[in-house]
Amino acid sequence: MTQDTATVTGPPDLGPVPESGPDGGPDTAPARRRWVRPLAAVLAVALLGVGGTLFVQGRQLRDTPATSNRALTDSAATSRVTGDVSSALGKVFSYSPQATAATKEAAKQLLAGRALQQYAALFGQVEKQAADQKLTLTSQVVRAGVTRLTGSSAHLLVFLDQIYEREGKAATTAAAQLSVTAELRGGQWRIVDITSR
Amino acid sequence: MARVSMTTTPLRAAALALTVAAAVAAGWGGWSRYDAAHDASAAYAQARNDALAAGEQAVQNMNTLDHARLDQGLDSWEDSTTGDLHKQLVDGRDAFVEQIEAAKTVSTAKVLSGAVTELDDRAGKAGVMVALRVTVTAPEGEPAVKESRMLGQLTRTSGGWKLSALGQAPVGNTAG
Repeated sequence: MTQDTATVTGPPDLGPVPESGPDGGPDTAPARRRWVRPLAAVLAVALLGVGGTLFVQGRQLRDTPATSNRALTDSAATSRVTGDVSSALGKVFSYSPQATAATKEAAKQLLAGRALQQYAALFGQVEKQAADQKLTLTSQVVRAGVTRLTGSSAHLLVFLDQIYEREGKAATTAAAQLSVTAELRGGQWRIVDITSR
Repeated sequence: MARVSMTTTPLRAAALALTVAAAVAAGWGGWSRYDAAHDASAAYAQARNDALAAGEQAVQNMNTLDHARLDQGLDSWEDSTTGDLHKQLVDGRDAFVEQIEAAKTVSTAKVLSGAVTELDDRAGKAGVMVALRVTVTAPEGEPAVKESRMLGQLTRTSGGWKLSALGQAPVGNTAG
């Protein structure tokens, strides 16, 4: 019996082992590979998708209407435009009977576009007044703030004091509030529009 | 066998490269997203906009008062302010009510333009400048329209940015 079972179980035992080896090997490997490829593809696509989505979300967080305005966030550019515009306003809105030509020349350097046209129209009267009434005007910026700043354009709010002096009379000071638009041209901020507030 | 490996090896290499690229894309996207969420300049820009909006509204509130609706107006003044300015308003409220009830004036204000001049995001302090037009109507006579320029200090509170100081921008102080 023991011999019988040994001989009966022997061959079937030995049989499947060498047979299943070469058979099962190629059988399970393609089966796994069939599984792995789509999985890897799905994974890759999912990773790309996640990466893209996160990147877009990041862009949306970073590029808001608030961040596109660099007023104060770019402190160097903010103080530069504030300084340039303040100094320009001080120069173009200051004149004395003797030096209207200098003011006119400064305006050509510091103003452009619509502001230059507005100024030319205004200055015709001013020039005559300054000479006739011996009028001296000194303008000083009290406070200036940048409302909007991009790489090449800026909007500012400026509080200006204008001191009028007529020969033989006490000086009077007038307050002016100006909205100013400036553009960066050739490395210098030029005023392109002035609106009195 | 040789043909199979020649086709599968470039394929496998491409698949591997794609997977690595995808992983890098996900990592980069994640970093970009994280970095943006913690971007100090974006938060600073938002704080600047919030301070300006709150500052303009507060300055407008502080220049608006109707004698017929005094409580509502003065409540809005107190809501717009904090710190010493708030305390002054609360302390002076009764006297002010008498004054306005006697004068029977109505003031309205329109903000023409405003800008943040300084902002300390960490300390929760900001400075604003506001140009506005104030119209004061008394029981008799024409309404008086006045252009006004104001400087305010804002402090961030749990209820948002509020005025801690407010005054007219001085005229003539800069004259030497």
